[in-house]
Amino acid sequence: MTAMTQPATAPASNGDPGDAGGEGGFLRRTWVQALLVVVILVAGYWVSRALGNPAWASGFPTAVGEWFMGRLDEIYAWIVVNRNNSPLFLYFLNYISVGLGSAVVLINRFLDFLTWPGVTLIGVILAWRVAGWRVALLVLVTFGVFALSGLWNESMTTLSLVFASVAIALLFGIPLGILAGRSERFYRGVRPVLDFMQIMPAFAYLLPFVLLFGIGNPAAAIVTAVYAFPPAVRITALAIRQVPKGALEATASLGSTPWQMLTKVQLPMAKRTILLGVNQTIMLAVSMVVIASVIGAGGLGDAIYQALSKVNVGEAFQAGLAIVMLAIAMDRVTGAVGRGTRESRIPENRRLPLRGALLALVVSVVAVARLLGVREWPLDLTVNISDPVNALYGAIQDTIGSATAALATWLLGNVLGPLADLLMNSPWWLVVLAATALGWIFAGTRAAIVSGASLIGVGLLGVWSDAMDTLSQVLVASVITIALGVLIGVLMSRSDVLAAILRPILDAMQTLPPFVYLIPAVALFTIGRIPALVAAVVFALPPVIRLVNDGIRGVPAPTLEAARSQGSTRWQLLTKVELPLARGSLLLAVNQGIILVLSMVVIGALVGAGALGNDVVVGLAQNQLGLGLASGLAIVCLGLFLDRVTQGRRPFRA
Amino acid sequence: MSTPLSEAVDPGGEATDVMFSVRNMWKIFGRDSDKIIGTELERADRDRIREETGCTVAVRDVSFDVRPGEVFVVMGLSGSGKSTLIRCLTRLIEPTAGRVLLDGEDIGEATPQRLRELRRHKMAMVFQHFGLLPNRKIIDNVAYGLEVRGTPRPERYERAREMIEMVGLGGYEDSRPGELSGGMQQRVGLARALAVDPQVLLFDEPFSALDPLIRRDMQNEVTRLQRELDKTSVFITHDLQEALKLGDRIAIMRDGELVQVGTPEEVVGRPANAYVADFTSDVARTTVLTARWLVRDPYPGERTDGPVTEPGTVLAEVLPMLAASTAPVRVVEGETLLGYVGRDDVLRAIAEDQLEDPEEAAAIEEEAVEEMSGGAAGQSGSSPTGSGG
Repeated sequence: MTAMTQPATAPASNGDPGDAGGEGGFLRRTWVQALLVVVILVAGYWVSRALGNPAWASGFPTAVGEWFMGRLDEIYAWIVVNRNNSPLFLYFLNYISVGLGSAVVLINRFLDFLTWPGVTLIGVILAWRVAGWRVALLVLVTFGVFALSGLWNESMTTLSLVFASVAIALLFGIPLGILAGRSERFYRGVRPVLDFMQIMPAFAYLLPFVLLFGIGNPAAAIVTAVYAFPPAVRITALAIRQVPKGALEATASLGSTPWQMLTKVQLPMAKRTILLGVNQTIMLAVSMVVIASVIGAGGLGDAIYQALSKVNVGEAFQAGLAIVMLAIAMDRVTGAVGRGTRESRIPENRRLPLRGALLALVVSVVAVARLLGVREWPLDLTVNISDPVNALYGAIQDTIGSATAALATWLLGNVLGPLADLLMNSPWWLVVLAATALGWIFAGTRAAIVSGASLIGVGLLGVWSDAMDTLSQVLVASVITIALGVLIGVLMSRSDVLAAILRPILDAMQTLPPFVYLIPAVALFTIGRIPALVAAVVFALPPVIRLVNDGIRGVPAPTLEAARSQGSTRWQLLTKVELPLARGSLLLAVNQGIILVLSMVVIGALVGAGALGNDVVVGLAQNQLGLGLASGLAIVCLGLFLDRVTQGRRPFRA
Repeated sequence: MSTPLSEAVDPGGEATDVMFSVRNMWKIFGRDSDKIIGTELERADRDRIREETGCTVAVRDVSFDVRPGEVFVVMGLSGSGKSTLIRCLTRLIEPTAGRVLLDGEDIGEATPQRLRELRRHKMAMVFQHFGLLPNRKIIDNVAYGLEVRGTPRPERYERAREMIEMVGLGGYEDSRPGELSGGMQQRVGLARALAVDPQVLLFDEPFSALDPLIRRDMQNEVTRLQRELDKTSVFITHDLQEALKLGDRIAIMRDGELVQVGTPEEVVGRPANAYVADFTSDVARTTVLTARWLVRDPYPGERTDGPVTEPGTVLAEVLPMLAASTAPVRVVEGETLLGYVGRDDVLRAIAEDQLEDPEEAAAIEEEAVEEMSGGAAGQSGSSPTGSGG
């Protein structure tokens, strides 16, 4: 604030003399300490290099990891042998597996039974009733895309998987949420678990479930359900807790039983919020179902997976479009239920006849379609957009391909490569120490311990150098994401016009499954680490931008007014008032950005980013379960490290 | 502390003549709070207990009786523990120690089922922030208490309609609470409490969140309903005017303890200590104190043919009579003459009102008397009755 009191003409005022005054505190500044840590790490790297990278001063010894992977491979071999005679599998897991498999098949058969006109009609009617005719139109277009792109069957498989897994997730999630909402102790118990589940990258979930349920739809449905259920628990608990205490007290004073309190007061009042949790669960399920194609889930995700592995951008685009439409339509329909914005204008006495009429319409359409033998959309009526897209892709590669390739090469050679080299070939204990020090500098003692332990864990798992490779990609992508995100977020907070334009785009981007971000990245940068990095940046950018913008816009108007009345320039206002006051949001933006980047960088293995993600894929593809599982755990360790370091000193809530 | 309490625990009242009986009730918030009572620490003040144990004493060793049909007001500033006290009566908050008898039944001993029965049939509460269910229609809010005790819908709707009509909200049955003003919402809260036809109504600062004008309306409403329906009420407020207006008896609470229990007149006219005196110093005594309060035997040689009035007449209404006649007013209850109230008595009460400190009035008066009896009658008293003192 000292700068503000100086005359505006003072040339030194932008040098911020107030802060520089305390020289004794120079070393106490966070960023100076962090820089020091980095300098020491780099020095260690050069020393080690000068010594010819001796074993004690380079990457983590792999002996422990190899032993560990060997054990895991043995477990896997045992499971393969005993899958059909061990009681655990025979009487428990296989039942779940078969049951879920048949549930998915059953839903799929039912959708088939309804025929495509029936399914479309039901979807459109439902959307119209709960969300209005605009959303109904969107749903119609979505089904149109499914049909015309020739991916009707794949879309129905994906839908069945989503339904099955959401049903499981809600079946467990909502009762757990109610429990957590009513019992403080239970809530305190589950919260850290949920927190942890939410920072775990999707890829890390895959392998354990393959281990238990094999490859295919059942494992995919369960992994999706597990991935998607934390928000159902969390938001249900939150909703129950948000019920005003006064209402509870008043109804208790009238002699309600606990069950009456739940069913007559808490649930009705929490309904809206719980439905928003359901919306989030569905959106997570959509994104996970696509990723689960790696473990054999069929449907649209598989179509993208196959296309990407052939580097057929056109086909990938076609399936990607179907998924994008599916995600947006699902979000709009379920979001409208949760927000309850739509008041039905149909008078109450006409609702029943209307329902009857709609039901009759559906039944007759299905009957007619079945009589005529219509099942799925005829393939000769599809519109093939993959060829034109491929042509466009060729054209893009011809015109700017060399430029993007040059950019990629530069980035690889001058930034990513050296950083990966630094992390992989520095003495491992120095890297662990650096991580611990950074944890301590940014977030205190506990984070320091967790950081150090996580990295040692990575080493013990035997995937040190791949993990350091992944870490280098995450660091570079995070720096780019945060720089761009803060810049765009600040601009967005300055201009209402820009905000109005960006907000719907960000909304749409946030509903898309991470998988589809790979497609444009491949189109521009072919395959390798760079497209994965670009996809990660694009994927993580929307929430960062949004948090920065919301944080700055959330600064109280009276505070701004007071600062302005003392003669601050706009720049001073931003740097001295708005950004410091938005600190909580900024920290959260950094944290979220890094976690999202990590989850995407790992998925980037599918387009050749290598490292840990690739180990997971290879582990799956070649039955090297030890490697796959170790990599999955290493991803979790990295996630834990990155999350704790960026969580700041005080815990904040999302 | 012992003096006001002995007053509170009315020795004359028999067991059947008491609706609520509270004995030595404590509420201490915090870990191991029950270990404080019975140790020497229980006599320590709030701050020391908090320092040594981390526990907060909200209600401290409170005893009082509420008689059937009366409005018993508990008054205190925020943090005095009054809201905790009323919640302990219906066990929305579990008291740490002590007994609460409702119509002779120990509420603390009640099983959860029995407690629900009591809450469903015998007592109902009205809350400061209404506590309505925003997702339900007004009629369903009012019928809630009947709904949870299993009354069939037509019956409970009929009763609810009656209650809505009674609090003057006819026509709003199908509205939602959010569409109503604060005053109207509290009428709904009142109707909801009355719908279960309880013997006891518990009011927790019901009108504090309302505008002054609406508050006055609601106070009149409660007085009216109280008269018509013959309920027993425990009423919590931080507003002394409200307490004086509604209360048959007032309990003044400070730091979790009852400082004084008594009729409005007793509290205003004979404050138990400086705290209560300070509290009541802004009250216009002439509007609270009645002729009964000042009644005395005639002075020797005094005229005894003054105007006649009832003992319940407030001083503000006695004043014009005294202005009309130099003789003291005769206070007559039915056939019996209770005694006399003269100009000097009323003036003294007014003087106490006007001067911040009642003792100051007494001191000035004494000085004046001395001066006169000393022979130097400098300024002649404007009041002819002045010599009477």
